[in-house]
Amino acid sequence: MIQALVDGILLGGVYGVISTGLSLVFGVLGVVNFAHAEFLMLGMYVAWFAWRMLGLDPLLGSVLSFIIVFAVGYGVQRLLIQRVLKAPPAAQVFLTVGLMIVIENAALIAFGSDFRSVSVPYQVEGYRLAGIFISAPYLYAFIAAVVLSLALWLFLERSWSGRAIRAVAQDPMASTLVGVDTKRTYGFAFGLGVGLTAFGGAVILPYITVSPTVGGQFVVLMFTVVVLGGLGSVTGALVGGLVVGIVQSMSALFFPIQLQNLFLFVIFIAVLALRPQGLIKGA
Amino acid sequence: MRFALKPGHVVLLLFFIAAALLPLFVDPRGHLLRVAAMALLFAAMAQSWNIVGGLANQISLGHAAFFGLGAYTSTLLFLRLGISPWIGMLAGAMVAGIAAALLSVPTFRLKGHYFALATLAFAEVLRVIANSWADLSGGPVGLTVPFLGTQPLSFAFRAVSSYYWIILALLVIVCVVFYVLAHGAMGYRLRAVRENEAAAEVAGVNTFRVKLVASVISAALTAMCGTVFAQFTFFFDPDSIFSLSGISVRMAMIAIVGGLGTLGGPIIGALFLIPLEEVANAYLSSRAAGLSQLVFGLILIAAILIQPRGIMAFFPKSRVKTPPKAQPATEGARG
Repeated sequence: MIQALVDGILLGGVYGVISTGLSLVFGVLGVVNFAHAEFLMLGMYVAWFAWRMLGLDPLLGSVLSFIIVFAVGYGVQRLLIQRVLKAPPAAQVFLTVGLMIVIENAALIAFGSDFRSVSVPYQVEGYRLAGIFISAPYLYAFIAAVVLSLALWLFLERSWSGRAIRAVAQDPMASTLVGVDTKRTYGFAFGLGVGLTAFGGAVILPYITVSPTVGGQFVVLMFTVVVLGGLGSVTGALVGGLVVGIVQSMSALFFPIQLQNLFLFVIFIAVLALRPQGLIKGA
Repeated sequence: MRFALKPGHVVLLLFFIAAALLPLFVDPRGHLLRVAAMALLFAAMAQSWNIVGGLANQISLGHAAFFGLGAYTSTLLFLRLGISPWIGMLAGAMVAGIAAALLSVPTFRLKGHYFALATLAFAEVLRVIANSWADLSGGPVGLTVPFLGTQPLSFAFRAVSSYYWIILALLVIVCVVFYVLAHGAMGYRLRAVRENEAAAEVAGVNTFRVKLVASVISAALTAMCGTVFAQFTFFFDPDSIFSLSGISVRMAMIAIVGGLGTLGGPIIGALFLIPLEEVANAYLSSRAAGLSQLVFGLILIAAILIQPRGIMAFFPKSRVKTPPKAQPATEGARG
C-alpha cells in the first residue's frame, strides 16, 4: 500500500510536468492543444538520438529535447496556431487535431514504427528504504521533474518573460499597451509548453520505450491531469499529476492492468461534468 | 415548414438520381463502386455528425462511439442470437440513442473544447471496454461477419451494387432528417442555442431538451451507418471502429471541409476527401507507411486555414446558412 503510494508519487511528478505545458498553453492562448502528446513523443526521440549518437544520458538529453522542441513549438505557434486564436473553437480543435495526425505520421515516416529504448546503467537498480523499493530510473525522473517545476515557477514569477506570459494570459490588450509583444509572447508560451512536455518525455525514456504512437498512451492521461487541476492552472496541473499518478498505481492493486485507463476516463468525464473548473483552485 | 424548391435542392436531387444510376454504368463488383459506396457512407456519417456539430455547434470528437455501438450491436446479435442485422441495425440505433442520452446528462452544460474532450473520452472508454471485455465483444481480434452469399433478409449480398444502393438510401434518409431538423421548428431552436444559449433559454427554448433530441437522433443515425459498415466490410476490430482519427475526426473533417451546418457540405466533403484518400493510399502507401495519413492531416490543417466555412462557401448561390459565429474564447470555466 505504501509502496503503491510511493510509486504513484514518483510517476505523478512526471505526469505533472508533461501536463503542465498543456495547461500553460490553454491558460495563455485559450487553445486546447490536442497535439500536445505528440510533442512528448518528439522529445523522447530527441533524447533517444542524443543517447544513441552522442552517448548522452536521457536525463541530460532532456535539456536538448527541451530546446529543440521549444524551437519547433515556437515555429508552429507563429505559423499555424496564431492564425486561429480568434477563430471559433471548432477551427482551433481541428487545427490541433490535424497537427496531431501530421506529427504522428511524419514521425512514422522518419523513424519507422519500431519501438526504441535506451539502456542506462541504473535501469534496473533501486534503493531500499524501510522496506520500500524505490526504482532508480523512476526516482531520477521524479527528481528531474521537481527541479524543472521549480525552475518553471521561478521563471514565471521572477523573470520579465515569465511576467509577460502571465500578463498576456490575464489581459492581452492591456499587456500590449504596456509594451509586451503579445504575438512573440504567445509563441514563447507555446514553445515553453511543448518544451516542458518534451523534457518530461526525455526523462521517462529509461523506463518507457518510444514509438511514433506513444503519444496516444498519454493523451487522455494529460487531459485528465489538467482537467483535475483546472485547465489553465500550472500549479493545478502539478498537483493533478500527483493525484493521477497515485490513483493509477493504487488502482493497479485492485483492478487488472487493462482497466487502469478506464478508471482514468471515468474520473475524467466525472470531473468535466461536475467541476469543469478543476478540483484544485490554483493560480 | 414550407417546402420551396431552390436551385441547391435541384442540384442535390440530380445528384441522388445520378448516384442511383451509377452502378448500371460501372462494373457492379469493381473497385470503383466500392470506393463510391464508401464515399456515400462517409457522407451519411458526416451528415449525422453535422446534426450535432453543425446545427447545435457541439463539436463532438467521439462519434466513433455511436458508430462502433451500431456495428457491435447488430453483429453480436447476429452472431450470438441469429437475429437479422436489419433488426440489429434498429437495435443498434436504439442502443446508441440511449448512450447519447446518458452522455448528455453530464456533458450538456459543456461547450467547445470541454465538450470535445468529454466526447473523445467517451469513445476511448468504449474502445477500452471492447478491447478488454473479450467475452462480450470478442476482444482486440475483432469480429468477422460471416459470408453468406446473397441473403437479402440477413443483410448479405454478393454484389457491391446492392450495398451501394442501401448506403445511398441511408444517405437520403439522413439528409432528409437533417433538412427537416434544420428547417422545422427544431431548426430555429437549434440555431438559437448555437448563436446564444442564454438568450435562447430566456426566450423559452428548453436548451437541454433541444440538444438532447439532436444528439440522440445524430447518434442513432451514426449507429445505423455503423451496422451498414460492418455488413459491407465484413470485419472490424475495437481499435479501428472506435478510432479517433479514423472515424471521429474523419466524420467531423468531412463536414467541416464540405461546409459545417449545410445540407450539401457533408456530401461534397465526402466526395472530395474519400476518393482523394483512396488515390493517396494507392500511390503513397507503397512509398512509406503513414504518408497518406500525413496528407490527410495536412489537408485538414489547410482546409481550416484557407476556408473554415468549407467548400460550400465557394458556391455563391448555395447560401451558406448563418456561418458559425466566433465565440469568445473565455467560454466555460477557466482556471
